[in-house]
Amino acid sequence: MDTFVFYIAGVISVVAAALVVTRRNPIYSAIYLVLFFTMISLQFLVLRAPFLAVVQVLVYAGAIMVLFLFVIMLLNLTPEELKEAVPRSRKLLAGGLALVLFVLLVAAIRQSPTVRNAPNLTAPIVPTEAAPTLGQAGEVAAIGESLFTTHTLAFEVTSVLILIAILGAIYLTKKRRPDNGEGTRIPTGLEKQEVSPGHVVATDTKEAES
Amino acid sequence: MILSLSFCLYLTAALFAIGVYGVLSRQNLIVILMSLELMLNAVNLALVAFGRAFLPSAPPDANGPQIFVIIVLAVAAAEAAVGLSLLLAVYRKWRTTNVGQIDMLKG
Repeated sequence: MDTFVFYIAGVISVVAAALVVTRRNPIYSAIYLVLFFTMISLQFLVLRAPFLAVVQVLVYAGAIMVLFLFVIMLLNLTPEELKEAVPRSRKLLAGGLALVLFVLLVAAIRQSPTVRNAPNLTAPIVPTEAAPTLGQAGEVAAIGESLFTTHTLAFEVTSVLILIAILGAIYLTKKRRPDNGEGTRIPTGLEKQEVSPGHVVATDTKEAES
Repeated sequence: MILSLSFCLYLTAALFAIGVYGVLSRQNLIVILMSLELMLNAVNLALVAFGRAFLPSAPPDANGPQIFVIIVLAVAAAEAAVGLSLLLAVYRKWRTTNVGQIDMLKG
């Protein structure tokens, strides 16, 4: 049953991925990408990674896709703007290169003795004395313990990375105040409004003092 | 039915190749970023498959591969945020998301 689910999800994920890269309208790409992420999440479930399956739906199908759709709708591109002038030769070249990559990867996978001799993906897991909690691997408690004990450094470094990414995103999308007269000027009325409350308070206190 | 590690890796190779095709053949920056996400997901799937395959042999760190995937996930989220904000900055300046038309080094 698990295997069956995996095969079906695998086929759907390949089809969805192909649709993502071929649709002209990015909205359709985004919707097929959601389908793709969900199928990957199903595959994670079969591969005994329930926590990752949930996180996949939450982070990818939830957060990242909302980000993509938000940007697509913010830009509100017209069909003319969506037109791509990719020559047929370049598409063929890209397809050929991707195919070569796929063939090379398959050849490498077939050659590898590690992969060939690997146990079945549905093989039963028998906890040993050295690893008594092996059966719980991939579950939330085991992942959490591992993340906050063995892999604390990676966790902390990632948090710094995300902080930098947030700062970078804010800096990049911030509207800069033009100082060379180029672009749109901030209306002078707005500047006055920003200044006036403090100014008014200052004069009030002065009057009160006098 | 048997689910072998090699089938799983063929699948990830196919998904990765589709992502590469998307990055190479598309000109819309949004779709290129989506193709990058496809590739990252393919790699994640390969990592989880390896982790699952060698789980019965009791590795010293059974959760290692999945922790790795979580880190990749976080990095992918950061990459998407920065990539999309770059896209917004580019669009504000050039009024296009077509990478074929963004051909100047000077911003």
